[in-house]
Amino acid sequence: MSKAKPCETVRVVVRCRPFSTREEGAKCENILDIDDKLGQITIRNPRATSDEPLKVFTFNSVYGWRSKQNDIYDDAVRPLVESVLQGFNGTIFAYGQTGTGKTYTMQGVSNDPERRGVIPNSFQHIFTLISRTQNQKYLVRSSYLEIYQEEIRDLLCKDNNKKLELKESPDFGIYVKDLSSVVTKNAAEIGHVMNIGNQSRSVGFTNMNERSSRSHAIFVVTVECSEMGPDGEDHIRVGKLNMVDLAGSERQSKTGAKGKRLKEAAKINLSLSALGNVISALVDGKSTHVPYRDSKLTRLLQDSLGGNARTVMIATVGPSHKNFGETLATLRYASRTKKIKNKPRINEDPKDALLRKFQEEIARLKAQLEERGMLAKERRRRRDSKRLSRSLAWMEEDDSNICGKESEMNHCTNDVPKVSISQGSSEKLKHLNEKRKSLEDMHWDQDALVKIIEKYKAMESKLLVGGKTIIDHTNEQQKMLERKRQEIAEQIRREREIQQQMMLQEEETLEMRETFSSMQQEVELKTKKLKRMYAKVQLLKGEMRDIIDEHVTTRQELEETQTELTRELKFLLIENFIPPEEKNKIINRLDFDSEEDQWRLWPVLPYVAQKCSSTYLTNIWKKH
Amino acid sequence: MASLHSGEWRDICDKFTTAQQLNESQTDPETDPFRSKYNARELLREIYRSLKSFEAADGEEDSGGESGEQRPTEEPLDGQKEDSSGPSISGDSADGLRAAKLGAVEYYLGVNHIDTEELSAGQEHLMNCLKQLERCSVSSQNVSLCIHVRNQLGILWAGRDETEMAQGYLETAESIYQCYMKEDGTPPTDMTEYFTTEENMLTHQERTKRFGLAFTHTMYYLAQVYKSLGQTERAATYCHTTLQRQLQLNQFNPMEWALNAASLSQYYITRGHYMEGRHCLAAATVVSDLAGEVPSEAAAQESEAESERREQLRQKRAEIGRCWIKYCLNLLQDAKKQLEDNIGELDTDRQDELKRARRREEEEEEKGRKSALLFGSDDTFDSIASAEEKVLCFCPLDYTEARSVYLVGQNYVIQAKEYFQMDGYVTDHIEILQDHSALFRALTFFEEDLERRCKIHKRRIDLLEPICNELNSKYYLLIRRQLMFELAETYNEMMDLKLTLANRQADTQSLDSHTIKKSNSLCTASAKYFQMFLDSLCSPDGKFPEHLEEEVLRPALVARFRVARLHSRLISSSPQVQLVNLNKSLENYKYVVQYCEAHPEATSAVETELELSTEMAGLLPLKINRLKARMASNN
Repeated sequence: MSKAKPCETVRVVVRCRPFSTREEGAKCENILDIDDKLGQITIRNPRATSDEPLKVFTFNSVYGWRSKQNDIYDDAVRPLVESVLQGFNGTIFAYGQTGTGKTYTMQGVSNDPERRGVIPNSFQHIFTLISRTQNQKYLVRSSYLEIYQEEIRDLLCKDNNKKLELKESPDFGIYVKDLSSVVTKNAAEIGHVMNIGNQSRSVGFTNMNERSSRSHAIFVVTVECSEMGPDGEDHIRVGKLNMVDLAGSERQSKTGAKGKRLKEAAKINLSLSALGNVISALVDGKSTHVPYRDSKLTRLLQDSLGGNARTVMIATVGPSHKNFGETLATLRYASRTKKIKNKPRINEDPKDALLRKFQEEIARLKAQLEERGMLAKERRRRRDSKRLSRSLAWMEEDDSNICGKESEMNHCTNDVPKVSISQGSSEKLKHLNEKRKSLEDMHWDQDALVKIIEKYKAMESKLLVGGKTIIDHTNEQQKMLERKRQEIAEQIRREREIQQQMMLQEEETLEMRETFSSMQQEVELKTKKLKRMYAKVQLLKGEMRDIIDEHVTTRQELEETQTELTRELKFLLIENFIPPEEKNKIINRLDFDSEEDQWRLWPVLPYVAQKCSSTYLTNIWKKH
Repeated sequence: MASLHSGEWRDICDKFTTAQQLNESQTDPETDPFRSKYNARELLREIYRSLKSFEAADGEEDSGGESGEQRPTEEPLDGQKEDSSGPSISGDSADGLRAAKLGAVEYYLGVNHIDTEELSAGQEHLMNCLKQLERCSVSSQNVSLCIHVRNQLGILWAGRDETEMAQGYLETAESIYQCYMKEDGTPPTDMTEYFTTEENMLTHQERTKRFGLAFTHTMYYLAQVYKSLGQTERAATYCHTTLQRQLQLNQFNPMEWALNAASLSQYYITRGHYMEGRHCLAAATVVSDLAGEVPSEAAAQESEAESERREQLRQKRAEIGRCWIKYCLNLLQDAKKQLEDNIGELDTDRQDELKRARRREEEEEEKGRKSALLFGSDDTFDSIASAEEKVLCFCPLDYTEARSVYLVGQNYVIQAKEYFQMDGYVTDHIEILQDHSALFRALTFFEEDLERRCKIHKRRIDLLEPICNELNSKYYLLIRRQLMFELAETYNEMMDLKLTLANRQADTQSLDSHTIKKSNSLCTASAKYFQMFLDSLCSPDGKFPEHLEEEVLRPALVARFRVARLHSRLISSSPQVQLVNLNKSLENYKYVVQYCEAHPEATSAVETELELSTEMAGLLPLKINRLKARMASNN
């Protein structure tokens, strides 16, 4: 995973939650069958007959309801987070119906390490990795934002009702203008940041229910790393980890998200305000301009789906037959996502790296401090003299003392007004003021110094340097352990991939075996093949039947509509072209003959009239 | 209704109003999202039961012993004896009204069930509603309900992917509406009126509005149904009708409407229907002006609402402007395609022929206009027409016409760029610039004076070159590739023009040093950008990929081929330099040939280039050897 392939697809894993107690009580059927060795999930239509073939989906991996949080992390997320530290962009999506365990998977139970979700685990992981590095400096910052009805809000700033804009810069691409980002030093801090964000997410919703399940939340962790390159210069790599909690998939249509990628097909848009979507879908994109923006989510994550990023999607499903439709939709969507190709690259020396700015700032502060360090002694001496002068009556204070002080002051700050020695006693009051002012200046100066020192310390502490605890033996062992675990995960993954490939190739290889040792064997093989083919035929036949059934019902409905229409038409004709009296007469003469199952017309008394009117009327009524 | 005691009736009305309010409620807790809907459902059921019991009572009162039969018989209430024939009751009769009321409750129950995601139950209720309605003839009492219920059924079936079913219901709704409007046309009763007391009846205006809106929705749903059935032409027509109805009934938001009309124009443009495209755009411009003036910057700073409005108006007008740009561009490019001969120059015979054809068409134009789809309400019609007149809607056939189209396009380019500035809207800004450059390029086709043609190309360079160098190559890789390629081609074209000009002026003499210098510098610039393009394909460690991906296959091979050609066209008096250039040229020709040998699937993408490259790869070594020999003998 560490070596960058030029092109890789989005990794898709599926996780199935166990039955809820309510579902168990209601005796829900399990419609999912999970094969985690092969990474296959089979879904059964609860309403279908037993001989209907099952739908099978293959993913990078599949987790049943006994899966642990750690398994998923090790398999799906760990490699991704590691590549973020190497300077790749990474994205983790959770996608699925509400109530299938998206939030459990992403966040989990925070105080139980066993049940911690992907996000807290990745925090831990990032900082553990950093502490084990050597000769590298890191800066970790995080942002948290929410997209609700196409409006972006910052979850980390106090006034989170302010709408933020999505902008694009020629230097560093798409960004959210004025999005705050918080520099964090350890996992606890970043966890705290997330909690703050979660709180402001829920606080904002009191007036609007269900918002949390209708809004998308994105937690962004940016890891900047500087390392001395072979050329003797610092090189900065920046990796960005997006952790996205999508709105419940069943509510996609209600979130106002207009992104094409995240929408299921067919449904009719009810509101006329979506007319634009309908029209733009008619327009062929080439050589035209379609004046609708992609959804903000799509634009923000455009790198994750078909761009410069590694992406993992965790699709969550429920096993109950009641959710068949949604589960199938989720699996289909996940299956489509598998095909999206990304081209991840290491982000080296980007112009917007905060680390570079920090380092420059630190260097500047350091230089400033050093300069002041020389003055510090002087200042101490000055403080003594100040005390001395205060003990004297300060009206009679020695001019030269003041001047001495003044000149000292000029050393520190240039904006203190110069005072000449030859000032007379009449100007003493002015002197006084000036002295007071200079004292204030001095205080201010000292404060500034303290501030600079503080800032320097704060800034330096924000930069994380690894390797401090590496001597620790247990740490070393832990590292080994983790590496082994990771290797195992990698192995399993590879095994699964190979197995999947094997499945595909099996058929081809079978056909290629052309030599048969004996006729018997040939017969055997052919029979096997025949059986397999037969099964396939059955499968296809089943599908065909389905389609035919579907069409038959459609046709029936259409025929119904047609008869309905014809009847209506006839009715209109009668209404409009037959005088009411005539109609009444006819109606009175109508009679239903139940034996022959048709309407009959009683004869009108005079023979001739009967003849002509009956032909006329049967013509009308025959078809009815 | 005679038999309804007004007290009970009032009770029903109140229940209905409450149910309506509950249905709209947004305050349910997340754990119980449909609470108010369930409450509304209960109320509706109660109403249904009350109606049924009234009905039973009525039935006994009026027609005596018709027990056991659910279907109520007609009652001679309004004095006139109704001729109810077979299964049908007149929709206007009291019975018809009663059926409509029952139907309406069924309808509301159906919608309620659909809202709570119980689709089958919803469907059943809607079908019951249909059944009630089928017993009656269409009349002003029930026509609105007829349309609404079919709309809902259409939505329901479309949601199940049974588009044809949906189509059936919606098309029936359409025909019912049209029949009704033709035969009756009076403002029909709205469904909410079934359960209101006399004093709350709607005005005629309100009735017309609601009925119209229901039908607008039918049109809108049909547009979507046709779209998913792949009948784009029809879908576009229905989109158009939807828009036209919104405009006519004055039920629209100007900016939204304008934007929709502008996008519809893009559909027509791609189909070559420029008259319709122009009409949509003109309507978009006129209607967008109805949204009012853009608030000034000062006003925007004062209040947030104004600032948002300013942003919205500016953005959407700029978007419409961009649609106009595409219109002009497509028109020019289409014209070029029609007039082009096989070497890409103006075909004068074809030009004359088309001019003659147009004169004939102009005579018939009047007729054409009438049959075309048109937008307009009373107060916009004229302004739309005058907005249309500002630009051609047929292909320009000479420079003057082409220039007039170009100028319109340029105007919109300036307008759009004002909003889509580089800082903040990089991709959009560049797209506009690329369009501008494409407008220039299409214009050069019509310009006969080569000197001036060259100047136009120079303006394209001035447009794109600074941007290309300013962009971050990581985030805007694709855009930069496009820009590099276009720049390279433009320089190449300029060089060709310069050489043709020079050759024309000095037929026999060799080229003067100034021309040579100029041509060489253009040639180098072109080669430089092609090379930059090729370098952008390299992997991070600087290696050119062994296998080219499909989307860059042709551009990359063409770039190689062009680089080869450019190197062979550099003019130099020094044999050493000549030798270097020829070797470079050979190297690139060879690359094309070898790549296609190694990847036979690439051959089809670059057939002509490959043919020439193979030829040149065979010929150039001879030339190089001759040059070498000459150099050797000179030494």
